[in-house]
Amino acid sequence: MTDLVQIVAVTVSSLLLLVVLDLVRRRRLTEEYSFIWLVCAAALLGLSLWRESLHTVARWLDVHYPPAILLLVLVLFVFVASLHFSLVVSRQRQQIERLTEEVAILAARQREVSQAPEARSPSDPAPEPSRGPA
Amino acid sequence: MKVLALIPAYNEAASLPRVVSELRERWPALPILVVDDASSDETPALLPGLGVRWLHLPVHLGLGGALRAGLRYARSLGVDLVVRVDGDGQHEAGEIERLLEPIRRGEADAVQGSRYLDADGHPEAGPRRSAQRALGTLMARVTGQPVTDPTSGSWALGPRAVRLLGEYHPTGYPEPELRLFLARNRLRVTEVAVRMRARLAGRSSLTAPRAGLALARVALALVVVPLRAAAEGSPRD
Repeated sequence: MTDLVQIVAVTVSSLLLLVVLDLVRRRRLTEEYSFIWLVCAAALLGLSLWRESLHTVARWLDVHYPPAILLLVLVLFVFVASLHFSLVVSRQRQQIERLTEEVAILAARQREVSQAPEARSPSDPAPEPSRGPA
Repeated sequence: MKVLALIPAYNEAASLPRVVSELRERWPALPILVVDDASSDETPALLPGLGVRWLHLPVHLGLGGALRAGLRYARSLGVDLVVRVDGDGQHEAGEIERLLEPIRRGEADAVQGSRYLDADGHPEAGPRRSAQRALGTLMARVTGQPVTDPTSGSWALGPRAVRLLGEYHPTGYPEPELRLFLARNRLRVTEVAVRMRARLAGRSSLTAPRAGLALARVALALVVVPLRAAAEGSPRD
C-alpha cells in the first residue's frame, strides 16, 4: 500500500466515523442503527492505519494489490448493512401493521362507548372487555 | 405534589400482583400506573383485576420506551412526582420515601437509589460488580457527579425530569444513559442509599449478548450525549 493510498483510506474512514457520530449526536440516526456503520468505519480505519494487517490479509487471500482488501471489506460491510436494514424494515412493517389494527379497533371501541345504549340493536353481540387504558 | 408509582412490566405476571399489593399495603393512597410493554404472558389479563391505571403498549418498545410512555401519560394526568418501582419486585416499597425526600426538599430534580452508599444495599458481586464500578468511575468523570450505582433502576423523578423524560427518555437499558442525559441537561441528580432484593420471580431480559450490546450503547452514549445540544424544555443557564 502506497503512502498516498493510506492517507486517503485513513481520511475517508475517519470522516465516515465522524459523520456517523455526528448524526447520532444530532439524533438523526438512532444509536441502535448506528452500530453497524461504526463497526464498519472502525474496521476500515484499523486496516488503513495498520499496514501490516492489510498486507497479511492480502497475502492470505493471494491478492496482489493490498488496498483491494479495503475495497473488499467495504463492499462486504455495505452488503451486510443492506441486509440488516432489510430485516429492520421488515420488523417495522410488522409493527406498523399491528399499530394500524390497534388504531382501528380503538376507534371502533370509542364509537361503541359513545353510542347511546338504545341505538344499539338487540342482535348486536356484547363488546369484548376492553384491554385498553383505565 | 401529586405522586405516582410507575411500574414498567414485561412478562412479570408471576411477581406483578405481589409488587402491587406490597405498594398498596405500605402506601394505600399512592396511585399506581403499570406499563405493560406488550407482554406475551398473562400480564395483560391480570391488569384489570389489580385496580391500577395501566398502559398496554401494542408493540414492544423495551424498558426505556415503556418508561417514556408512562411518564408522558403521567404528565398528562397532572402528576408532579414519579417513583419507578420495577415489576420484578427488586425495589422495596419501604424505600420510596427516601427517594422522594430530596425532591420534596427542593434539592434535586431526580434521585437515583444506590445499593452501594450503605453497607447493606444487597449489592451485586463478582464481575458484574467490577463492571458497574468501572462504569461508575467513568461516568463520574464525565458528568462531574458521584455515580456509585450506574445501572440502578431505582429512581424518583421531579416535575422537570418528568416533563423532559416524557419526550426524551433514553431507550434500551437506559439507566447509565439517563444519568448522562440528566447531567447534560443540567438537572440536579442526587443519590440516596437504598436496599434492593433479588427479583421475586421470572428471569431478567438482560441476557449476555444483550448486556454486551447495552455496554456498547453506553460507550457510545459517553461520547455522544455530552456533546448533544440541550434538549427542549431543559433549564437554561
